[in-house]
Amino acid sequence: MEDFKKKFLAEAIEHINDLESALLALETNTDDKELVERVFRAMHSLKGGGAMFGFDNVSHFTHDLETLYDMVRKGKMELTENLFSVTLKSVDHLKLLLEVGENLPDDILTIHNDLLSKISKIVNNTTTEVKETAPVNIDKKENTWYVRFSPLPNIMDNGTNPLFLVDELQQLGSSFVLPNTMNIPELSELDPEKCYIDWELVIGGEVTENAILDVFIFVDDLSKVQVHKLSSGNLFNNPKFLSDLQTRAKEQKVLGDQFRLGFQKTELINNESVANKVKKVVNNSRSETQTSNNNTSSTIRVESHKLDSLMNLVSELVTVQARLSLFSQNNANNELGTITENVQKLTRELRDIAFSIVLIPIESTIVRFQRLVRDLANELHKEIIFETHGTETELDKTIIENITDPIMHIIRNSIDHGIESPEEREQNGKPRQGKISLNAYHSGPNVIIEIKDDGKGLNFEKIRQKAYENGIISADNHLTEKEILDLIFMSGFSTAEKVTDISGRGVGMDVVKKKIVQVRGEVYINTEFGKGTMVSIKLPLTLSIIDGLLVKFATHFMFFRYLQSKKYTPSNIKELQIHTTTHYQLTENKFHFSI
Amino acid sequence: MAKTIVIVDDSESIREVVKFTLENEGHKVLVGVDGKDALQFFDNRDIDLIITDLHMPNMNGIELIRDVRNRDSYKRTPILFLTTESQAEKKNEAKEAGATGWIVKPFVPAKLIEAINKVMR
Repeated sequence: MEDFKKKFLAEAIEHINDLESALLALETNTDDKELVERVFRAMHSLKGGGAMFGFDNVSHFTHDLETLYDMVRKGKMELTENLFSVTLKSVDHLKLLLEVGENLPDDILTIHNDLLSKISKIVNNTTTEVKETAPVNIDKKENTWYVRFSPLPNIMDNGTNPLFLVDELQQLGSSFVLPNTMNIPELSELDPEKCYIDWELVIGGEVTENAILDVFIFVDDLSKVQVHKLSSGNLFNNPKFLSDLQTRAKEQKVLGDQFRLGFQKTELINNESVANKVKKVVNNSRSETQTSNNNTSSTIRVESHKLDSLMNLVSELVTVQARLSLFSQNNANNELGTITENVQKLTRELRDIAFSIVLIPIESTIVRFQRLVRDLANELHKEIIFETHGTETELDKTIIENITDPIMHIIRNSIDHGIESPEEREQNGKPRQGKISLNAYHSGPNVIIEIKDDGKGLNFEKIRQKAYENGIISADNHLTEKEILDLIFMSGFSTAEKVTDISGRGVGMDVVKKKIVQVRGEVYINTEFGKGTMVSIKLPLTLSIIDGLLVKFATHFMFFRYLQSKKYTPSNIKELQIHTTTHYQLTENKFHFSI
Repeated sequence: MAKTIVIVDDSESIREVVKFTLENEGHKVLVGVDGKDALQFFDNRDIDLIITDLHMPNMNGIELIRDVRNRDSYKRTPILFLTTESQAEKKNEAKEAGATGWIVKPFVPAKLIEAINKVMR
């Protein structure tokens, strides 16, 4: 069960992310039925799974949320701003619930109850629908029941086997079964796929009416099920009762109504009333919108440390293979050469596949950015459109994990310092709504991510001034524009005129740069005063292995990354041997290679 | 006797629990991630029971039930669908599409087996 629990957790996080992205999309396009359906489905899965795997808080909480969106689905509730803000807060809360488990600390419990009351307030404001609950009969006493089951001839059409039902009834207690076979037609007219038999049963014991009706829960409303109480008490306790029944059955073939009416209490409940109980919930037919969310593909979930080990092993293998190739080159042996070539080919394929496994699309992090823009823009009373392009671009998952925070910070800066207030923008002849776009694309062996805003741009003079005030440069330093921009990335630098809540929250640009450099990336800023700023991040596709050029220079070996080398010129100088090598591994920032 | 059971659900954890429970009972379990994915199993092979979720992308449970019922080999194969209490109106829709019965989520393994025993032996 623990294993399932872990799977559910991983899955729940995906559902929550999907929920969040669907909600954000829905907020800008409230007419999209498919999105509502997606929101609902994500909640539904969270609720069901939560209850199954012991996350009762999650389950109960989503149950209430689901009620809201069920009403939205049925057109009973409007998608208001308030609804979105409560729902998004709930999404955040759900993440917390998954983290903290079942015992909520006081502060979370307060939020929990607060959100629940907000949700129920929305529900109650919209509906006056009174939920009727089916009366539960908890009659533990012994009873004797008469059951007549007359299935429709076509009952077997939907896979129901009436015999199973009769069996199940018999298992409830002491019983007597009498099948009525009088309606079976002549063999020539008999359709073997139809049911011509009905049954009479007498059941005694600690059996409730609901237990009997439960047996027929799958049975079509049109098949007739009658349940009558013959006696409060188990008539089978008297051995004579059974023999009486048997005699009666032998003589009359059926027990019939007279038999039943011979007993005092009668109550007619046919299965239709059960069906009505079930049907109590709205009949509002809604258009069946077919959702084409292709997020589910046939995949398996693997713990990421296993992937890390796989990548490490493949990297080691590639290194060893390089050694083998070199050895084979230096020791001419035809057979060794063939084997080495095969090993090289297979290793390359293995490497490529292993790499593609750890590549994930940037899309997986976009929701966080969208959410950030939405929340922050609201908080700062700015109007901002957030656009993304090329989010299907794939990157090593370690790189994505490492650059998410830096990108968050860059976007935060754009919103906080870049985009002007709507009024200020109008004064400057710009549209009220600011725009931030995130653009990702491949460029040679790199992936470039650009974050661009159409805000006020950077003020070089201000930056210079600030750097001077913070003691980073001296007053008489003459710097080029590029050098000024580099100042931003120095530690202890901040251009924020007032320290806002936002700037205080994140890391500085120096940390942004550090983090990007850690994954062997580079970061650049382009800006035009009054027009906007663009931050470009250049990233390698993958971290574990780099192609390079190994050079022996006198007694020293030197290694150049292919990316750093512009041109290779064949040389006939004897002392300078150039080996175009295959692959070398990078571990802890040190190159390992051997000859 | 070992039966062949198809389970269709877009939630991996649900699939796994059902699969685990049924395999423990000695059945053979085929797994589909949504209606469309599950269609691959209905190529005239012997299937004793189908258990499907209703809310799924690509092809939902109702559509799957209709599709399967339209195939001659599976006209009378028991089909159970997974549902929650809050989905009463869906039950009728699924039954009209040809489902045999349902299993209410959340369920414990014993309840799952109980529901299965109602329709398959």
